[in-house]
Amino acid sequence: MFLHNLKYELKSSIRAKDLIFWLMIFPVVLGTFFKIAFDGIYEKTTKFNTIPVAVVEVQKNPVFNSVAETLEEGDTPFLKAEYTDRKKALELLENEKVEGIIYLDEKLSLSVAEEGIEETMLKAFVEEYTAEEKIITDAVKNDPMKAQAVIDAFSQEVDVCKEIPLTQGNPDNLIQYFYNLIAMVGIYGTITGLHITINKQANLSALGARNNCSPTPKSVGLCASLIGSFMVQAVCMIICVTYLAFVLRIDFGDRLPPVYLAAIIGGMMGVSLGFMVGSIGRMSVDAKVGISMAVSMTLCFLSGLMVGDMKAVVASKIPWFNNINPVAVMSDSFYCLNIYSDYRRFLTKIATLLIMTAVFSVLGFIFSRRKKYASL
Amino acid sequence: MENTVVKIQNLVKRYDDLVALDHLELEIKEGEVFGLLGPNGSGKTTTINCLLSLLSFDKGEIEIFGKKMTPVSYDIKKDIGIIMQNVAVFDELTVYENIDYFCGLYITDKATRKQYVDEAVSFVGLEDFLKFYPKKLSGGLLRRLNIACGIAHKPKLIILDEPTVAVDPQSRNKILEGIEELNKNGATVIYTSHYMEEVEQICTRIAIMDKGKKIAEGTKDELKRMIKNTETVTIEIMELPDSAKQQLAELPHVYEVTCSENKLTVCCSGGKHNLIRILDVLQKNDLSFGRVYSELPTLNDVFLEITGKALRDKED
Repeated sequence: MFLHNLKYELKSSIRAKDLIFWLMIFPVVLGTFFKIAFDGIYEKTTKFNTIPVAVVEVQKNPVFNSVAETLEEGDTPFLKAEYTDRKKALELLENEKVEGIIYLDEKLSLSVAEEGIEETMLKAFVEEYTAEEKIITDAVKNDPMKAQAVIDAFSQEVDVCKEIPLTQGNPDNLIQYFYNLIAMVGIYGTITGLHITINKQANLSALGARNNCSPTPKSVGLCASLIGSFMVQAVCMIICVTYLAFVLRIDFGDRLPPVYLAAIIGGMMGVSLGFMVGSIGRMSVDAKVGISMAVSMTLCFLSGLMVGDMKAVVASKIPWFNNINPVAVMSDSFYCLNIYSDYRRFLTKIATLLIMTAVFSVLGFIFSRRKKYASL
Repeated sequence: MENTVVKIQNLVKRYDDLVALDHLELEIKEGEVFGLLGPNGSGKTTTINCLLSLLSFDKGEIEIFGKKMTPVSYDIKKDIGIIMQNVAVFDELTVYENIDYFCGLYITDKATRKQYVDEAVSFVGLEDFLKFYPKKLSGGLLRRLNIACGIAHKPKLIILDEPTVAVDPQSRNKILEGIEELNKNGATVIYTSHYMEEVEQICTRIAIMDKGKKIAEGTKDELKRMIKNTETVTIEIMELPDSAKQQLAELPHVYEVTCSENKLTVCCSGGKHNLIRILDVLQKNDLSFGRVYSELPTLNDVFLEITGKALRDKED
């Protein structure tokens, strides 16, 4: 009986067009749009890139040449200097091949075409160089004996900040949108969960009535449907993560298997939530669908899916809510995985999702156990 | 026809102030095709739902196959086939898969199930549509699929709740023949319908319900004997003078004479040779007439006379 129910639950679920759309096509399309919209934003806006600059030597400045040479070293050098004449430098600036032109004259000067982070950094560099050059020159003039000490002092790199990487994960904040997308697919599992109760409750559909007339115990049918829905949802979650990771090449850091795990458990939580909501009360199918969608959308909204900083707002106003908002918990599990090197926080989130899944499923069974209905 | 298959005693079902079933009593014997007739809102479907333990009720007892029916009476349920008023099939499963799914809820052995499903497909004539999805089927074929899903497991008691609604005449005929065949094969059938001619054609015993009560019960002939009208004579006539109309009304057993649009209708209650006496009056008055019809009362006449002719706008 159980396997027979399970077999047909799987067959009917994978052929249900609305499920296929919301759980497979919609996330693929939305993920693609996200990718198109956000592609390169991090590299362009947040990540530091070497600043190309043209250098026009009105007069020779070997000290600057030496400093510039030092700044061009390393994996991500500060500068990429191109020594050229004034005309060519202007041409490069006009064509946006360089961010600015440094003129080596009696005094260092800088020309830029527009305002921006790179231009500001160039300006800071030129000002710092000019100031230090003056100090060294003054030292040589006034007390040549101490000149070397001054040069040595400037040569020492003083770091007041120390970078301590917590993870090898992707530091791009926009990755959060893709986490939310996966969480949204998970919460769309409510639609799958809702279908369970619609097809099994005599007061919700003719199919439910017919199922209730059969000698198959209701608990067997419900169990088979719930497990079947978990399986279908898991497949949808795997497809979603695979598409994001391998087709759109979203960088989920170095721990993709746990991302799959979190997505699958998140999807199961969504199914169980829908199952529970569908089982509550004696409302019509339309009312239950409406409530399910409203609950899902509200949870998504409060987890920051629609407004980026909403989760932070919720965290500041009602901090406990993010710990019980299934979408936020799911989204956080991905975040923990990406940001923290240890699994402690991630496992806490996963445990929370599993507990929610168990609680929702048990409540769904309790609410569905009613055998007779007051009205059909 | 000895064993009682269904016994409903003193069944009361209320929806707040509305009494949907009012101390209903029914007894259905093995091998019967039992018709449940009644206007909209009379309580037919409520009775079926209570019988199947889908609906709770306020008072009464329901026994099927001699055992009390409860939601967990799986041993009783395995011998019941239900064909709902609304088509209850999965849109995502093919015709064959739908029948196999519902049959599988009753029959666990795969080989037996396959045989039963094949027989059900053949029974409703859906062999050419096995791989079709329900949405691709016409209304008649869909109804036949609905029936196949309900009877594939060879139930002893088959409940059909208005199975021929919105079905073309060919499909309706196929369905009715099928029900008769199921009955011949030993199944007891409970059949609800609005179509009097269907009930008259297939039912061996009929109960008429109104306002949650059983107001009449018996065979077709027994029911027809319950009403005043036993014969209606209709004659095409050019004109009918008042004197002739008066003579007709004074004939023995005649209780109503009407004439409109060149059609004379004489309703008789009991007696023999009513037609001869009516024609004799027309000849004596030298009245020429055309075609003559003499009709015995139908179940429709019984139904209308017992339940009244007022429109019912409430859904059952």
